[in-house]
Amino acid sequence: MIKEIEAFIYREARLLDERRFEEWIELFAPEGYYWVPGAPDQDDPYESVSIFFDDLPLLKTRIQRIRHPKIHSQEPPSRTCHLVSNIELGARGNGNDQISVFSAQIMTEFRLDKERSYSGRVKHLLRSTEEGNFEILRKRVDLINCDGLFETLTIPF
Amino acid sequence: MDSYDQVSLSSLIKPDRVHKDYYIDPEIFKLEIDRIFSKSWLLVGHESQVPNPGDFVTLTLLTQPMIMSRHRDGSLHVMFNRCSHRGARVCTKPSGNALRFECPYHGWAFHTNGDHAGVPYPERYADGFLEDGDFDLARPPKQEIYRGFVFVALDSEVSDLDTFLGPMRYHIDNMVDRSPAGELEAPAGMFRYRFAANWKIQLENLNDLYHPMFTHASTTAEDGTQFRRQGAEGDEAGKVKLLEKHSSLNMQWEEQVIAGHPHGHTYMQRFPMDRENQGPVYERYKSSMVEAYGAEAEAKMKVHHHNSIFFPHWSIQYMTQHIRIMNPISVDCTENIIIPLKLKGAPEEMWKSALRSNNNSHSPAGMVMADDMDAWVRCQEGMQANGHDWIVFARSVGEESIDNEGSFQGLGTSEANARHQHRAWLHYMCGMDQGV
Repeated sequence: MIKEIEAFIYREARLLDERRFEEWIELFAPEGYYWVPGAPDQDDPYESVSIFFDDLPLLKTRIQRIRHPKIHSQEPPSRTCHLVSNIELGARGNGNDQISVFSAQIMTEFRLDKERSYSGRVKHLLRSTEEGNFEILRKRVDLINCDGLFETLTIPF
Repeated sequence: MDSYDQVSLSSLIKPDRVHKDYYIDPEIFKLEIDRIFSKSWLLVGHESQVPNPGDFVTLTLLTQPMIMSRHRDGSLHVMFNRCSHRGARVCTKPSGNALRFECPYHGWAFHTNGDHAGVPYPERYADGFLEDGDFDLARPPKQEIYRGFVFVALDSEVSDLDTFLGPMRYHIDNMVDRSPAGELEAPAGMFRYRFAANWKIQLENLNDLYHPMFTHASTTAEDGTQFRRQGAEGDEAGKVKLLEKHSSLNMQWEEQVIAGHPHGHTYMQRFPMDRENQGPVYERYKSSMVEAYGAEAEAKMKVHHHNSIFFPHWSIQYMTQHIRIMNPISVDCTENIIIPLKLKGAPEEMWKSALRSNNNSHSPAGMVMADDMDAWVRCQEGMQANGHDWIVFARSVGEESIDNEGSFQGLGTSEANARHQHRAWLHYMCGMDQGV
């Protein structure tokens, strides 16, 4: 089981690095969401500001924007490398078809001669699909600098 | 001696353009701190950030570390975050609750109102030394709270807050009055970001109607609408129609009022295409407003403005519901904080919607903010190039009306807002009256 889950999470990271954003959002369940809290130790996305708090429609808007010919904050585009490690399986839920997965991640971004690094803990809630794969119900990224000073961000972690 | 005198300062500002040194000369920046920021009322934050006795937040004002705290008697205090002994920053937590502040270096302690609370082993100081000297945490010479907004002035000579704000006081009232309880709250913390551009570039941008159709083109869908800005969860009422056609100027915008008052303050009327909120949540809000204000409720609920900028460093955005504090760090570095505002007593769904709207548009990954920041940094970088020494603000120059008090009114994409800030800047820098 852990092999399949690792493969899923590594592929997710690769889709982001290869700027295959449309395929990345296809990994999400219709009711799935992506959350990057703007403060540490949050229980609820309405307790504090969020850097990202996107349901699927908003993720689609975000990707359309990244693809827009006039997105000048991506001219030239960011190059990223998501390094994912420390994968552990957490609790299963809802019978047996949901599972939490913990990992650690460093995303390095290079654009306009600047290299930036973002580190954090990631928690996925995955659901098994009928096709024998997984879909993302929730992906939460807790950056170690979540309440720090940021420059412009465009690419998801 | 300063290298800039009144003549050379005046030569930087022309009616339709400003010299690039206005943005890139470190000497100008140094003078601005002394002559503009030290002569203005500066916003520190909102008092709801420290609701209970002992609550505190630390912050940076210009480049100075500060503490805002709530004392046990309920009073609010803004202090410089610097130990009166050896100068260490006394408190390094972003926020929390403290019985008192204790400097970790030698244990000097301070009450939450800044009063000196004592030192360890005092017997080695000369008799009376600790009693005679003033070892309280230093405080800015002036502090005022207006409807929850906490201000300080760094110079005791600054005119009173009422005079400084002038008619802009009502721009604070308009925001606060939308709450059924007549109060705002800041329960969701803040966004913080830093960008490599002069503070005035952002100030000119906030009420600039010439840029959205280009700078924000990527946030606009095929039909010209921008993603949901505000409105109840899931409804489409908050989608703003930014463009008629791709990259064409929506002519409604040319009718929009851009105006301002003495001291460099400017504001922009609410977008004509912002649709009124409606639906069951809004009806509940309306009832609670009627219950609180009776016949005045309708007037109080009305959103008049999109953005109001209180020169030199903060603004209110009314639909998105936030305050933005812009901290000048150096000639080419500015730090922002954006604090979402909750209307106390309004339905919880409205707050959730406002918070999400802030996340979508104004987080560091926000789909509006990222475009703007990128453009400001490009300006700062581009101005390093030789060739053109002047930055142009000539659209509809001279068409704005300016009254005897120094208030102006212009329209649409006229750039009149920036010209008003340039005039105020020159008045501050030359120590002139802020009238006309």
